Amino acid sequence: MNVIEIKNLTKNYGKARGITDVSFNVEQGEIFGFIGPNGAGKSTTIRTLLSLIYPTSGSATIFGKDCVKFGPEIRKEIGYLPSEVFYYDNMRVIDLLKYSASFYKKDCSKRIIELAEIMDLDLNKKIDDLSYGNKKKVGIVQGLLHAPKLIILDEPTSGLDPLMQQKFFDLLEQENKKGATILLSSHILSEVQRLCNRVAIIKEGKIIKVEKISTLQESNHKKFKIEVKAKIDDNYFKVSGVSALDINGNIISFLFRGNINFIMKKISEIQITNLWIEEPDLEEIFMHYYEKED
Amino acid sequence: MNMFLHELKAYRKSTIVWTCSLITLVILFLSMFPTFSKEAVAFKEILKGFPEPIRKALGLSIDSISSILGFYSYMFLYTTLCGAIQAMNLGTSIVSKEVREKTADFLLTKPVTRTKIMTLKLLAALTCLVITNIVYLAVASTMASFVKTEEYSYKIFFMISITLFFVQLMFLALGIIISVVMPKIKSVLPISLGTVFTFFIIGMFAATTGDDAMRYITPFKYFDTNYILKNASYEFSFIIIEIGFIIAAITASYIIYSKKDVHAV
Repeated sequence: MNVIEIKNLTKNYGKARGITDVSFNVEQGEIFGFIGPNGAGKSTTIRTLLSLIYPTSGSATIFGKDCVKFGPEIRKEIGYLPSEVFYYDNMRVIDLLKYSASFYKKDCSKRIIELAEIMDLDLNKKIDDLSYGNKKKVGIVQGLLHAPKLIILDEPTSGLDPLMQQKFFDLLEQENKKGATILLSSHILSEVQRLCNRVAIIKEGKIIKVEKISTLQESNHKKFKIEVKAKIDDNYFKVSGVSALDINGNIISFLFRGNINFIMKKISEIQITNLWIEEPDLEEIFMHYYEKED
Repeated sequence: MNMFLHELKAYRKSTIVWTCSLITLVILFLSMFPTFSKEAVAFKEILKGFPEPIRKALGLSIDSISSILGFYSYMFLYTTLCGAIQAMNLGTSIVSKEVREKTADFLLTKPVTRTKIMTLKLLAALTCLVITNIVYLAVASTMASFVKTEEYSYKIFFMISITLFFVQLMFLALGIIISVVMPKIKSVLPISLGTVFTFFIIGMFAATTGDDAMRYITPFKYFDTNYILKNASYEFSFIIIEIGFIIAAITASYIIYSKKDVHAV
């Protein structure tokens, strides 16, 4: 079952920015990554899902219901953490969280305390007095306190220290195990790589690719690094399937996509002193996608 | 309900401040009345020395100023000015506050419709105005009965005082429509003060020229105190226009607000 279905979603802001013809689905129970550089249209897509902004054309459904028509009903089961958190400054943290909880018709007080403990958040402070990172924590607790079925996170980790990021990721994985579906937008690839099952890559308002993380990493590319005894012909590895070829003295590195036997044969025909074959991290694949488009 | 209480809390301070300034104003003015009425003849002579357009602009009517109602209706112009700023501030902040303080994302991603948000915010603002008016009316009535030199019609006193609320309603509606139409309001005060004073000056101008058509432009002249003093009633056509304006502005605000894109900050 698809929790989110986006069909040909388009949003124009006059001439600039916006998204064009965005389509993808997020399945029940998955952690879906949404990556792209700043200004690519991640937030626009997310804000349309939450009906903060309305689409120019196309549609999106959440839990099988149209986002615009059934907005309030859908939002009962959504937890949202915006990329920048701002709250009523003169409130205390606990009052804000209670105010937030009062919109959902269930008792969340226990969960608030639990979450605050995990995130190491002082509930009695005034929001005004909190640092950016601590405000972000308020946002996290606020987004999760009603045990939503769908969690939407827009660049969630900015401002959090690595320890807190770790705790936050653990928390998300727990929620996911309990059955929550997660849509995580980010431009930081390692966090997407660490958490997500599938990703959609967006660039300049268009979806370039929707792929399983594992497919992106494994079956598509291998990262080769070879140390050769003697300098070989620069063109030796210029064959189809090889990209990002870099020859630096005796060290040759490249990404390979295709039949692995073929490249192994090629390597076996030269004298090598050392060989590394790695899974490329998402960043390299990602850059690869971007460069190809340019 | 939660939102209503939250809004009320947010406006608590400003409501207290405005209510206090309104009652201070009425207490100060009315406490001058005993001295004034004793020397009424001399004062009238001085006032006659003022050129007529200035007297009209300031709302001074020599015939009635020596009676408590006449004196009260003179000062009442400044009460409505004060009240109008309060209402305009409230109206303008209702929606723009969330955008300016960047809390719109918080509120609008909760399971509530924008119509409901608007309704509750509106109700909270109305409650503030009603409270202000009740307190003001209580203080003004008490003060008037203290300083009166002769019996006066409480009905007319009440009719004049309650127009504060009517004028406030118009400015509230005006503020709301401005706040939903303008994409981002950085600061409420310049807009509300600017608008209110513009209308106030138009009002003074209308009074000097005696041009009836101009009275339709400014809420300050919808309820002519001299007319109320003479006829113990309001002018029907103005009431119809006021109701029409408020309904149109509020309806338009609801429609615009529920279709508006709320952009990231």
